[in-house]
Amino acid sequence: MIKVDHLTVNFGPSVAVRDVSFSVAQGESFGLVGESGSGKSTILRTVMGLNPDWSGSIKIDGQDTKSTSRTDLARRVQMVFQDPYASLHPRYVIGHAIAEPMRINKMPNPEKRTLELLDLIGLGGQFRFRFPHELSGGQRQRVAIARALALNPKILLLDEPTSALDVSIQAEILNLLNQLRKELNLTFVIVSHDLAVISYMCDRLMVMRNAEAVETLSRSQLRSRDIAQSYTRELIAAS
Amino acid sequence: MSDNLVEIEDLRIAFPREGGMTDAVRGVSLSLGREKLGIVGESGSGKSLTGRALLGVLPSYARVSVDKMMFDGIDLTTASPKLRRSLRGGRMGMILQDPKFSLNPVMRVGLQIVEAIRIGDKKLPKREAYSQALAILEAVHIRDPERVFSLYPHELSGGMGQRVMIAMMVVREPDLLIADEPTSALDVTVQTQVLSILDELVTRRGMGLIFISHDLRLVSRFCDRVIVMYAGQIVETIRADRLNEATHPYTRGLLACLPTIDGPLDPLPVLQRQASWLEARP
Repeated sequence: MIKVDHLTVNFGPSVAVRDVSFSVAQGESFGLVGESGSGKSTILRTVMGLNPDWSGSIKIDGQDTKSTSRTDLARRVQMVFQDPYASLHPRYVIGHAIAEPMRINKMPNPEKRTLELLDLIGLGGQFRFRFPHELSGGQRQRVAIARALALNPKILLLDEPTSALDVSIQAEILNLLNQLRKELNLTFVIVSHDLAVISYMCDRLMVMRNAEAVETLSRSQLRSRDIAQSYTRELIAAS
Repeated sequence: MSDNLVEIEDLRIAFPREGGMTDAVRGVSLSLGREKLGIVGESGSGKSLTGRALLGVLPSYARVSVDKMMFDGIDLTTASPKLRRSLRGGRMGMILQDPKFSLNPVMRVGLQIVEAIRIGDKKLPKREAYSQALAILEAVHIRDPERVFSLYPHELSGGMGQRVMIAMMVVREPDLLIADEPTSALDVTVQTQVLSILDELVTRRGMGLIFISHDLRLVSRFCDRVIVMYAGQIVETIRADRLNEATHPYTRGLLACLPTIDGPLDPLPVLQRQASWLEARP
Protein backbone atom coordinates (compact mmCIF):
# COMPACT_ATOMS: atom_id res chain seq x y z
CA MET A 1 0.00 0.00 0.00
CA ILE A 2 2.78 2.41 0.96
CA LYS A 3 6.33 1.77 -0.12
CA VAL A 4 9.07 4.18 0.88
CA ASP A 5 12.54 3.54 -0.52
CA HIS A 6 15.77 5.31 0.42
CA LEU A 7 13.95 8.45 1.48
CA THR A 8 16.22 11.38 2.32
CA VAL A 9 14.81 14.76 3.29
CA ASN A 10 16.91 17.90 3.59
CA PHE A 11 16.09 21.20 5.22
CA GLY A 12 18.80 23.39 3.76
CA PRO A 13 22.13 22.05 4.96
CA SER A 14 20.68 19.77 7.64
CA VAL A 15 19.38 16.28 6.98
CA ALA A 16 16.03 15.54 8.61
CA VAL A 17 15.61 11.98 7.28
CA ARG A 18 18.52 9.90 6.03
CA ASP A 19 18.03 6.90 3.74
CA VAL A 20 14.88 5.46 5.34
CA SER A 21 12.96 2.58 3.74
CA PHE A 22 9.80 0.84 4.88
CA SER A 23 6.58 -0.53 3.49
CA VAL A 24 3.09 -0.78 4.89
CA ALA A 25 0.62 -3.42 3.74
CA GLN A 26 -3.05 -2.84 2.98
CA GLY A 27 -5.05 -2.64 6.20
CA GLU A 28 -1.97 -2.61 8.38
CA SER A 29 -1.23 -0.16 11.16
CA PHE A 30 2.40 0.97 11.15
CA GLY A 31 4.04 3.01 13.91
CA LEU A 32 6.93 5.44 13.82
CA VAL A 33 8.43 6.08 17.22
CA GLY A 34 11.35 8.20 18.39
CA GLU A 35 12.33 11.40 20.13
CA SER A 36 11.56 14.92 18.92
CA GLY A 37 13.72 15.75 15.95
CA SER A 38 14.24 12.12 14.95
CA GLY A 39 12.47 12.74 11.63
CA LYS A 40 9.29 10.75 12.18
CA SER A 41 6.87 13.59 11.50
CA THR A 42 8.96 14.72 8.54
CA ILE A 43 8.40 11.31 6.92
CA LEU A 44 4.63 11.71 7.24
CA ARG A 45 4.69 15.22 5.85
CA THR A 46 6.83 14.10 2.94
CA VAL A 47 4.48 11.22 2.10
CA MET A 48 1.63 13.76 2.15
CA GLY A 49 3.60 15.98 -0.23
CA LEU A 50 4.19 18.79 2.25
CA ASN A 51 7.98 18.84 1.89
CA PRO A 52 9.42 19.80 -1.48
CA ASP A 53 13.05 18.82 -1.01
CA TRP A 54 13.45 15.06 -0.86
CA SER A 55 15.00 12.19 -2.77
CA GLY A 56 14.23 8.49 -2.98
CA SER A 57 10.87 7.07 -3.92
CA ILE A 58 7.46 7.01 -2.27
CA LYS A 59 4.81 4.79 -3.84
CA ILE A 60 1.18 4.71 -2.80
CA ASP A 61 -0.75 1.78 -4.24
CA GLY A 62 2.08 1.28 -6.72
CA GLN A 63 1.88 4.86 -7.96
CA ASP A 64 4.77 7.26 -7.47
CA THR A 65 3.70 10.30 -5.43
CA LYS A 66 5.90 12.54 -7.55
CA SER A 67 3.76 11.84 -10.61
CA THR A 68 0.46 12.00 -8.70
CA SER A 69 -1.53 15.23 -8.70
CA ARG A 70 -2.29 16.95 -5.37
CA THR A 71 -6.01 16.25 -5.52
CA ASP A 72 -5.48 12.64 -6.52
CA LEU A 73 -3.04 12.16 -3.64
CA ALA A 74 -5.48 13.82 -1.24
CA ARG A 75 -8.16 11.30 -2.18
CA ARG A 76 -5.88 8.42 -1.28
CA VAL A 77 -4.02 9.78 1.73
CA GLN A 78 -5.14 12.13 4.48
CA MET A 79 -3.42 13.38 7.56
CA VAL A 80 -4.50 14.13 11.14
CA PHE A 81 -2.26 16.57 12.95
CA GLN A 82 -1.09 16.68 16.52
CA ASP A 83 -2.73 19.81 17.79
CA PRO A 84 -6.48 20.00 17.24
CA TYR A 85 -6.38 23.58 18.51
CA ALA A 86 -4.17 24.64 15.61
CA SER A 87 -5.41 22.43 12.77
CA LEU A 88 -9.01 23.64 12.52
CA HIS A 89 -9.91 27.01 11.03
CA PRO A 90 -11.08 29.10 14.00
CA ARG A 91 -13.71 31.01 12.03
CA TYR A 92 -15.30 28.12 10.15
CA VAL A 93 -18.09 26.22 11.79
CA ILE A 94 -17.02 22.61 11.90
CA GLY A 95 -19.58 21.50 9.31
CA HIS A 96 -17.87 23.87 6.89
CA ALA A 97 -14.41 22.61 7.86
CA ILE A 98 -15.41 18.98 7.27
CA ALA A 99 -17.15 19.74 3.96
CA GLU A 100 -14.33 21.83 2.53
CA PRO A 101 -12.23 18.97 1.10
CA MET A 102 -15.39 17.62 -0.58
CA ARG A 103 -16.14 21.00 -2.17
CA ILE A 104 -12.56 21.30 -3.40
CA ASN A 105 -12.84 17.85 -4.96
CA LYS A 106 -16.34 18.59 -6.31
CA MET A 107 -17.92 15.63 -4.61
CA PRO A 108 -21.71 15.38 -4.69
CA ASN A 109 -23.83 16.02 -1.61
CA PRO A 110 -21.22 17.39 0.80
CA GLU A 111 -23.86 18.39 3.37
CA LYS A 112 -25.34 14.92 3.61
CA ARG A 113 -21.92 13.33 3.88
CA THR A 114 -20.90 15.82 6.57
CA LEU A 115 -23.80 14.63 8.70
CA GLU A 116 -22.81 11.00 8.10
CA LEU A 117 -19.24 11.77 9.08
CA LEU A 118 -20.28 13.56 12.26
CA ASP A 119 -22.32 10.50 13.21
CA LEU A 120 -19.43 8.21 12.34
CA ILE A 121 -17.04 9.97 14.71
CA GLY A 122 -19.60 10.03 17.48
CA LEU A 123 -20.48 13.72 17.66
CA GLY A 124 -23.82 13.84 15.85
CA GLY A 125 -25.19 16.25 13.26
CA GLN A 126 -26.24 18.92 15.74
CA PHE A 127 -22.56 19.80 16.16
CA ARG A 128 -22.16 21.08 12.63
CA PHE A 129 -22.86 24.74 13.44
CA ARG A 130 -20.40 24.91 16.32
CA PHE A 131 -17.11 26.75 16.13
CA PRO A 132 -13.88 25.01 17.16
CA HIS A 133 -13.56 27.15 20.29
CA GLU A 134 -16.86 25.73 21.50
CA LEU A 135 -15.48 22.19 21.51
CA SER A 136 -13.14 20.37 23.87
CA GLY A 137 -9.77 19.08 22.69
CA GLY A 138 -11.05 15.54 22.23
CA GLN A 139 -14.07 16.73 20.24
CA ARG A 140 -11.82 18.84 18.02
CA GLN A 141 -9.59 15.87 17.32
CA ARG A 142 -12.73 13.92 16.33
CA VAL A 143 -13.59 16.72 13.90
CA ALA A 144 -10.06 16.60 12.45
CA ILE A 145 -10.51 12.84 11.94
CA ALA A 146 -13.90 13.40 10.25
CA ARG A 147 -12.35 15.95 7.90
CA ALA A 148 -9.56 13.52 7.06
CA LEU A 149 -12.14 10.84 6.24
CA ALA A 150 -14.26 13.14 4.06
CA LEU A 151 -12.66 12.07 0.79
CA ASN A 152 -12.84 8.34 1.59
CA PRO A 153 -9.06 7.91 1.70
CA LYS A 154 -7.52 4.46 2.03
CA ILE A 155 -4.67 5.69 4.19
CA LEU A 156 -4.64 7.89 7.27
CA LEU A 157 -1.41 9.46 8.44
CA LEU A 158 -1.69 10.29 12.15
CA ASP A 159 0.90 12.65 13.60
CA GLU A 160 0.80 12.30 17.42
CA PRO A 161 -3.00 12.14 17.32
CA THR A 162 -3.44 12.05 21.10
CA SER A 163 -0.42 13.72 22.66
CA ALA A 164 -2.23 17.04 23.13
CA LEU A 165 -5.11 15.33 24.93
CA ASP A 166 -5.82 14.15 28.47
CA VAL A 167 -5.22 10.46 29.13
CA SER A 168 -8.93 9.81 29.62
CA ILE A 169 -9.70 11.42 26.25
CA GLN A 170 -6.77 9.64 24.64
CA ALA A 171 -8.46 6.30 25.32
CA GLU A 172 -11.64 7.47 23.56
CA ILE A 173 -9.76 8.67 20.48
CA LEU A 174 -7.63 5.51 20.24
CA ASN A 175 -10.75 3.35 20.49
CA LEU A 176 -12.43 5.45 17.80
CA LEU A 177 -9.42 5.11 15.50
CA ASN A 178 -9.30 1.34 15.94
CA GLN A 179 -13.00 1.04 15.27
CA LEU A 180 -12.77 3.20 12.13
CA ARG A 181 -9.82 1.20 10.83
CA LYS A 182 -11.83 -1.99 11.13
CA GLU A 183 -15.06 -0.58 9.68
CA LEU A 184 -13.53 1.32 6.77
CA ASN A 185 -10.60 -1.03 6.17
CA LEU A 186 -8.09 1.80 6.51
CA THR A 187 -4.31 1.68 6.55
CA PHE A 188 -2.70 3.70 9.35
CA VAL A 189 0.73 5.21 9.79
CA ILE A 190 0.94 6.56 13.33
CA VAL A 191 3.70 8.79 14.67
CA SER A 192 4.11 8.91 18.42
CA HIS A 193 6.78 9.29 21.06
CA ASP A 194 4.77 7.04 23.36
CA LEU A 195 5.73 3.38 22.93
CA ALA A 196 2.69 2.25 24.89
CA VAL A 197 0.36 3.94 22.39
CA ILE A 198 2.28 2.47 19.46
CA SER A 199 2.29 -1.00 20.98
CA TYR A 200 -1.45 -0.77 21.52
CA MET A 201 -2.28 0.60 18.07
CA CYS A 202 0.26 -0.80 15.61
CA ASP A 203 1.03 -4.20 14.07
CA ARG A 204 4.56 -3.16 13.22
CA LEU A 205 6.75 -0.24 14.18
CA MET A 206 9.95 1.47 13.21
CA VAL A 207 12.17 3.10 15.82
CA MET A 208 13.92 6.27 14.65
CA ARG A 209 16.80 8.27 16.03
CA ASN A 210 18.76 11.22 14.62
CA ALA A 211 17.07 11.09 11.21
CA GLU A 212 17.80 7.39 10.75
CA ALA A 213 15.84 4.20 11.19
CA VAL A 214 17.15 2.21 14.17
CA GLU A 215 15.14 -0.95 13.64
CA THR A 216 11.78 -2.30 12.55
CA LEU A 217 9.88 -4.58 14.90
CA SER A 218 6.61 -6.42 14.90
CA ARG A 219 4.32 -5.98 17.87
CA SER A 220 5.08 -9.49 19.08
CA GLN A 221 8.81 -8.82 18.86
CA LEU A 222 8.33 -5.68 20.92
CA ARG A 223 6.24 -7.52 23.48
CA SER A 224 8.60 -10.44 23.80
CA ARG A 225 11.52 -7.96 23.97
CA ASP A 226 13.08 -9.57 20.91
CA ILE A 227 15.08 -6.41 20.28
CA ALA A 228 18.44 -5.98 18.59
CA GLN A 229 19.27 -2.35 19.32
CA SER A 230 20.16 -0.94 22.72
CA TYR A 231 18.45 2.37 21.89
CA THR A 232 15.08 0.62 21.61
CA ARG A 233 15.68 -0.94 25.04
CA GLU A 234 16.39 2.51 26.47
CA LEU A 235 13.11 3.76 25.04
CA ILE A 236 11.21 0.88 26.60
CA ALA A 237 12.90 1.42 29.94
CA ALA A 238 11.97 5.10 29.88
CA SER A 239 8.29 4.52 29.20
CA MET B 1 0.68 20.45 62.67
CA SER B 2 2.73 23.62 62.63
CA ASP B 3 5.64 22.03 60.80
CA ASN B 4 3.63 21.96 57.60
CA LEU B 5 5.03 24.12 54.84
CA VAL B 6 1.68 24.78 53.24
CA GLU B 7 -1.81 24.52 54.60
CA ILE B 8 -4.90 25.28 52.57
CA GLU B 9 -8.42 24.94 53.86
CA ASP B 10 -11.55 25.17 51.78
CA LEU B 11 -10.15 27.00 48.77
CA ARG B 12 -12.78 28.15 46.30
CA ILE B 13 -12.16 29.87 42.99
CA ALA B 14 -14.88 31.09 40.66
CA PHE B 15 -14.89 32.98 37.40
CA PRO B 16 -17.59 35.35 36.21
CA ARG B 17 -19.38 34.01 33.15
CA GLU B 18 -22.47 35.11 31.30
CA GLY B 19 -25.36 34.75 33.69
CA GLY B 20 -23.45 34.11 36.90
CA MET B 21 -20.33 32.54 38.27
CA THR B 22 -18.64 29.32 37.26
CA ASP B 23 -16.97 27.44 40.07
CA ALA B 24 -13.57 26.17 39.03
CA VAL B 25 -12.23 25.06 42.40
CA ARG B 26 -14.79 23.96 44.95
CA GLY B 27 -13.46 23.54 48.44
CA VAL B 28 -9.95 22.18 48.23
CA SER B 29 -8.04 21.55 51.44
CA LEU B 30 -4.51 20.24 51.52
CA SER B 31 -1.33 20.33 53.51
CA LEU B 32 2.23 19.87 52.43
CA GLY B 33 5.34 19.11 54.39
CA ARG B 34 8.81 18.87 52.92
CA GLU B 35 7.68 16.17 50.54
CA LYS B 36 6.70 15.58 46.96
CA LEU B 37 2.99 15.96 46.47
CA GLY B 38 1.37 15.15 43.15
CA ILE B 39 -1.89 16.72 41.98
CA VAL B 40 -3.52 14.78 39.18
CA GLY B 41 -6.61 15.45 37.16
CA GLU B 42 -7.91 16.22 33.70
CA SER B 43 -7.89 19.62 32.01
CA GLY B 44 -10.27 21.87 33.85
CA SER B 45 -10.17 19.96 37.12
CA GLY B 46 -8.71 22.98 38.90
CA LYS B 47 -5.25 21.58 39.61
CA SER B 48 -3.30 24.44 38.03
CA LEU B 49 -5.59 27.04 39.60
CA THR B 50 -4.87 25.59 43.03
CA GLY B 51 -1.15 26.02 42.44
CA ARG B 52 -1.60 29.52 41.12
CA ALA B 53 -3.78 30.56 44.02
CA LEU B 54 -1.00 29.55 46.37
CA LEU B 55 1.44 31.74 44.48
CA GLY B 56 -1.10 34.54 44.16
CA VAL B 57 -0.92 34.83 40.40
CA LEU B 58 -4.57 34.35 39.50
CA PRO B 59 -6.14 36.84 37.09
CA SER B 60 -7.75 39.80 38.85
CA TYR B 61 -11.29 38.82 37.83
CA ALA B 62 -11.09 35.47 39.61
CA ARG B 63 -13.09 35.34 42.83
CA VAL B 64 -11.11 33.54 45.48
CA SER B 65 -12.31 32.61 48.92
CA VAL B 66 -10.36 30.51 51.36
CA ASP B 67 -10.70 29.74 55.07
CA LYS B 68 -7.01 29.37 55.65
CA MET B 69 -3.95 29.58 53.44
CA MET B 70 -0.65 29.39 55.30
CA PHE B 71 2.85 29.21 53.93
CA ASP B 72 5.54 28.43 56.50
CA GLY B 73 3.71 30.33 59.21
CA ILE B 74 2.78 33.28 56.99
CA ASP B 75 -0.92 33.87 56.57
CA LEU B 76 -1.30 34.42 52.85
CA THR B 77 -4.91 35.57 53.12
CA THR B 78 -3.89 38.74 54.94
CA ALA B 79 -0.39 39.19 53.48
CA SER B 80 0.19 42.45 51.63
CA PRO B 81 0.76 42.30 47.86
CA LYS B 82 4.31 43.47 48.53
CA LEU B 83 5.02 40.59 50.89
CA ARG B 84 3.52 38.10 48.45
CA ARG B 85 5.61 39.59 45.68
CA SER B 86 8.74 39.02 47.74
CA LEU B 87 7.74 35.42 48.44
CA ARG B 88 7.32 34.63 44.76
CA GLY B 89 10.58 33.71 43.16
CA GLY B 90 12.37 33.88 46.49
CA ARG B 91 10.65 31.31 48.66
CA MET B 92 8.12 29.91 46.20
CA GLY B 93 9.04 29.01 42.66
CA MET B 94 6.97 27.81 39.76
CA ILE B 95 8.00 25.76 36.75
CA LEU B 96 5.65 26.02 33.82
CA GLN B 97 4.78 23.55 31.13
CA ASP B 98 6.43 24.92 28.07
CA PRO B 99 9.83 26.62 28.17
CA LYS B 100 9.18 28.01 24.69
CA PHE B 101 6.52 30.34 26.03
CA SER B 102 7.94 31.00 29.47
CA LEU B 103 11.45 32.22 28.72
CA ASN B 104 12.14 35.67 27.33
CA PRO B 105 12.80 35.00 23.63
CA VAL B 106 15.12 37.98 23.12
CA MET B 107 17.39 37.53 26.11
CA ARG B 108 20.28 35.10 26.50
CA VAL B 109 19.21 32.38 28.92
CA GLY B 110 22.20 32.88 31.20
CA LEU B 111 21.31 36.54 31.66
CA GLN B 112 17.76 35.53 32.54
CA ILE B 113 19.14 33.40 35.34
CA VAL B 114 21.42 36.25 36.45
CA GLU B 115 18.38 38.54 36.48
CA ALA B 116 16.54 36.10 38.72
CA ILE B 117 19.49 35.99 41.11
CA ARG B 118 19.94 39.74 41.26
CA ILE B 119 16.25 40.43 41.85
CA GLY B 120 16.65 38.37 45.00
CA ASP B 121 19.91 39.93 46.11
CA LYS B 122 20.41 43.37 44.64
CA LYS B 123 23.77 43.90 46.36
CA LEU B 124 25.34 40.80 44.91
CA PRO B 125 28.27 41.70 42.63
CA LYS B 126 27.72 40.93 38.98
CA ARG B 127 30.60 38.51 38.76
CA GLU B 128 29.30 36.53 41.72
CA ALA B 129 25.85 36.29 40.11
CA TYR B 130 27.42 35.08 36.87
CA SER B 131 29.34 32.32 38.58
CA GLN B 132 26.21 31.29 40.51
CA ALA B 133 24.30 31.08 37.24
CA LEU B 134 26.97 28.88 35.70
CA ALA B 135 27.02 26.67 38.78
CA ILE B 136 23.27 26.16 38.72
CA LEU B 137 23.34 25.31 35.02
CA GLU B 138 25.85 22.65 35.86
CA ALA B 139 23.66 21.44 38.71
CA VAL B 140 20.80 20.77 36.29
CA HIS B 141 23.18 18.60 34.25
CA ILE B 142 23.89 20.92 31.37
CA ARG B 143 27.15 19.66 29.99
CA ASP B 144 28.65 22.85 28.63
CA PRO B 145 27.23 25.62 30.86
CA GLU B 146 29.38 28.39 29.41
CA ARG B 147 28.12 27.75 25.89
CA VAL B 148 24.49 27.37 26.96
CA PHE B 149 24.72 30.54 29.07
CA SER B 150 24.99 32.68 25.96
CA LEU B 151 22.31 30.94 23.87
CA TYR B 152 18.86 32.30 23.16
CA PRO B 153 15.78 30.22 24.07
CA HIS B 154 15.05 29.31 20.43
CA GLU B 155 18.49 27.70 20.18
CA LEU B 156 17.66 25.25 22.97
CA SER B 157 15.89 21.92 22.65
CA GLY B 158 12.78 21.35 24.75
CA GLY B 159 14.58 19.38 27.43
CA MET B 160 17.40 21.89 27.62
CA GLY B 161 14.93 24.78 27.88
CA GLN B 162 13.06 23.04 30.66
CA ARG B 163 16.34 22.52 32.54
CA VAL B 164 17.11 26.22 32.18
CA MET B 165 13.67 27.01 33.63
CA ILE B 166 14.32 24.67 36.54
CA ALA B 167 17.74 26.24 37.07
CA MET B 168 16.17 29.69 37.15
CA MET B 169 13.62 28.61 39.71
CA VAL B 170 15.88 26.69 42.07
CA VAL B 171 18.81 29.10 42.01
CA ARG B 172 17.22 31.16 44.79
CA GLU B 173 16.65 27.96 46.76
CA PRO B 174 12.92 28.31 47.35
CA ASP B 175 11.23 26.32 50.09
CA LEU B 176 8.34 25.44 47.85
CA LEU B 177 8.45 24.55 44.20
CA ILE B 178 5.27 24.27 42.17
CA ALA B 179 5.83 22.36 38.94
CA ASP B 180 2.88 22.67 36.57
CA GLU B 181 3.14 19.88 33.99
CA PRO B 182 6.92 20.32 33.84
CA THR B 183 7.52 17.37 31.55
CA SER B 184 4.38 17.14 29.40
CA ALA B 185 6.05 18.85 26.45
CA LEU B 186 9.09 16.56 26.59
CA ASP B 187 10.07 13.20 25.13
CA VAL B 188 10.03 10.19 27.42
CA THR B 189 13.81 9.87 27.58
CA VAL B 190 14.26 13.56 28.38
CA GLN B 191 11.35 13.36 30.79
CA THR B 192 13.22 10.83 32.90
CA GLN B 193 16.29 13.04 33.04
CA VAL B 194 14.36 16.15 34.01
CA LEU B 195 12.49 14.26 36.72
CA SER B 196 15.66 12.86 38.22
CA ILE B 197 17.16 16.37 38.31
CA LEU B 198 14.06 17.68 40.06
CA ASP B 199 14.15 14.78 42.48
CA GLU B 200 17.80 15.36 43.28
CA LEU B 201 17.27 19.09 43.92
CA VAL B 202 14.18 18.60 46.02
CA THR B 203 15.72 15.87 48.14
CA ARG B 204 19.07 17.56 48.61
CA ARG B 205 17.74 21.02 49.40
CA GLY B 206 14.76 19.77 51.38
CA MET B 207 12.14 21.62 49.37
CA GLY B 208 8.45 20.95 49.28
CA LEU B 209 7.28 20.13 45.79
CA ILE B 210 3.81 20.30 44.30
CA PHE B 211 3.86 18.38 41.05
CA ILE B 212 0.85 19.04 38.84
CA SER B 213 0.26 16.60 36.02
CA HIS B 214 -2.39 14.66 34.18
CA ASP B 215 -0.22 11.56 34.01
CA LEU B 216 -1.13 9.38 36.95
CA ARG B 217 1.57 6.77 36.44
CA LEU B 218 4.32 9.34 36.10
CA VAL B 219 3.19 11.06 39.28
CA SER B 220 2.96 7.83 41.21
CA ARG B 221 6.52 6.89 40.31
CA PHE B 222 7.85 10.28 41.29
CA CYS B 223 5.85 11.63 44.23
CA ASP B 224 5.25 10.57 47.83
CA ARG B 225 1.55 11.38 47.95
CA VAL B 226 -0.99 11.94 45.20
CA ILE B 227 -4.11 14.08 45.28
CA VAL B 228 -6.65 13.26 42.59
CA MET B 229 -8.91 16.12 41.52
CA TYR B 230 -12.12 16.03 39.56
CA ALA B 231 -14.23 19.07 38.66
CA GLY B 232 -12.64 21.33 41.25
CA GLN B 233 -12.74 18.89 44.14
CA ILE B 234 -10.34 16.44 45.68
CA VAL B 235 -11.82 13.00 45.17
CA GLU B 236 -9.00 10.98 46.67
CA THR B 237 -5.68 11.37 48.46
CA ILE B 238 -3.46 8.35 48.37
CA ARG B 239 0.12 7.32 48.98
CA ALA B 240 1.88 7.01 45.67
CA ASP B 241 3.04 3.46 46.26
CA ARG B 242 -0.52 2.43 47.12
CA LEU B 243 -1.98 3.85 43.92
CA ASN B 244 -3.10 0.43 42.78
CA GLU B 245 -5.31 0.25 45.84
CA ALA B 246 -7.15 3.44 44.83
CA THR B 247 -10.82 3.14 45.58
CA HIS B 248 -12.49 6.05 43.82
CA PRO B 249 -13.91 5.02 40.43
CA TYR B 250 -12.45 8.14 38.83
CA THR B 251 -8.90 7.26 39.93
CA ARG B 252 -9.39 3.68 38.83
CA GLY B 253 -10.77 4.86 35.51
CA LEU B 254 -7.77 7.11 34.93
CA LEU B 255 -5.44 4.20 35.66
CA ALA B 256 -7.30 1.78 33.42
CA CYS B 257 -7.56 3.97 30.35
CA LEU B 258 -3.81 4.10 29.76
CA PRO B 259 -2.46 1.68 27.18
CA THR B 260 0.69 -0.19 28.20
CA ILE B 261 3.38 -1.77 26.07
CA ASP B 262 2.41 -5.26 27.11
CA GLY B 263 -1.27 -4.64 27.74
CA PRO B 264 -4.21 -6.36 26.02
CA LEU B 265 -5.42 -5.14 22.65
CA ASP B 266 -9.10 -4.96 23.58
CA PRO B 267 -10.75 -1.55 23.37
CA LEU B 268 -9.48 0.63 26.19
CA PRO B 269 -11.90 1.14 29.06
CA VAL B 270 -13.28 4.65 28.73
CA LEU B 271 -14.01 6.75 31.75
CA GLN B 272 -17.71 6.64 32.58
CA ARG B 273 -18.34 9.92 34.34
CA GLN B 274 -20.96 9.85 37.02
CA ALA B 275 -22.97 12.77 38.25
CA SER B 276 -22.42 11.65 41.85
CA TRP B 277 -18.73 12.57 41.56
CA LEU B 278 -19.75 16.21 41.33
CA GLU B 279 -21.57 16.22 44.66
CA ALA B 280 -19.94 17.89 47.59
CA ARG B 281 -18.05 15.48 49.77
CA PRO B 282 -17.41 15.72 53.50
